[in-house]
Amino acid sequence: MIVPAAESSDETLAARAAGGDDRAFETLVTRYQQRVFRLACRLTSETDAPDVLQETFLQAYRHMTGFRGDSRFSTWLYRIAVNAGLMHRRARTRRPAESLDAFLPQFDADGRHVPTPEALRIVSQVEELLDRQVLAEKARAAIERLPDLYREAFVLRDLEELPTTEVAQVLGVEPATVRQRVHRARMMVRGYLSGIAGVAP
Amino acid sequence: MKDMVCRSGVELLMEYLEGELAPDVRAAIEEHVNGCPRCVAFIESYRETPRILREATAAEMPADLEASLLDALRTQRRAAGPDKEDR
Repeated sequence: MIVPAAESSDETLAARAAGGDDRAFETLVTRYQQRVFRLACRLTSETDAPDVLQETFLQAYRHMTGFRGDSRFSTWLYRIAVNAGLMHRRARTRRPAESLDAFLPQFDADGRHVPTPEALRIVSQVEELLDRQVLAEKARAAIERLPDLYREAFVLRDLEELPTTEVAQVLGVEPATVRQRVHRARMMVRGYLSGIAGVAP
Repeated sequence: MKDMVCRSGVELLMEYLEGELAPDVRAAIEEHVNGCPRCVAFIESYRETPRILREATAAEMPADLEASLLDALRTQRRAAGPDKEDR
């Protein structure tokens, strides 16, 4: 019995695409294009995302026979997209972004938070304090300034909401490493948002 | 577990939230946080950060890009074809 492409699993479609079935490949493109586009926007920019999107699916097509089904198709595709995004960034970025280390939380000599509870909570108010457009620009600027390794982990885990174990598979590292990178990124971005609201991290 | 302060709790926060810590470490963090309004506020903002960023950076793929993507891929596929080395 022939199962219509739209109802087939990713892995079935990938196997058919690897065997030369272009309709199966295009069904996968249709199924994942939105997610890959959004991921590409977050890893690069809305301007660069169309190129990263196209490069991702072109690489996927070229290497489809290399997909052996030992991970989920989506994990495999995300890995290609992350690499395409990174290559694109390296081709474009001229100077290193200014570090976000200054936005890590501050503690006194006894290891206690320096800011008051009200100041520490200010992040929860940035959406009220800032115009939507301005917040979007600041959010992209914060992601842009993260180190590459932190950006990838943070975008996949916190923005695309992949489980930590899947992010680990995409990036080829241990889950504990993912947690460490996401944690650092989350603290940097949190402090950056506090700074926008005029408060120390 | 002794000597839990804001800094040591913050270092373990991600593992705490993902349920990766041993019960005694978990309990020590909770005991500290229950008596520390600064940590309560910090954790609240730490947990809010991903959602704020997610909503601020949500992008929709433009409709015309969907059509042009399939066209571009078809053109490139005809030119390149699958990588034979992988077969």
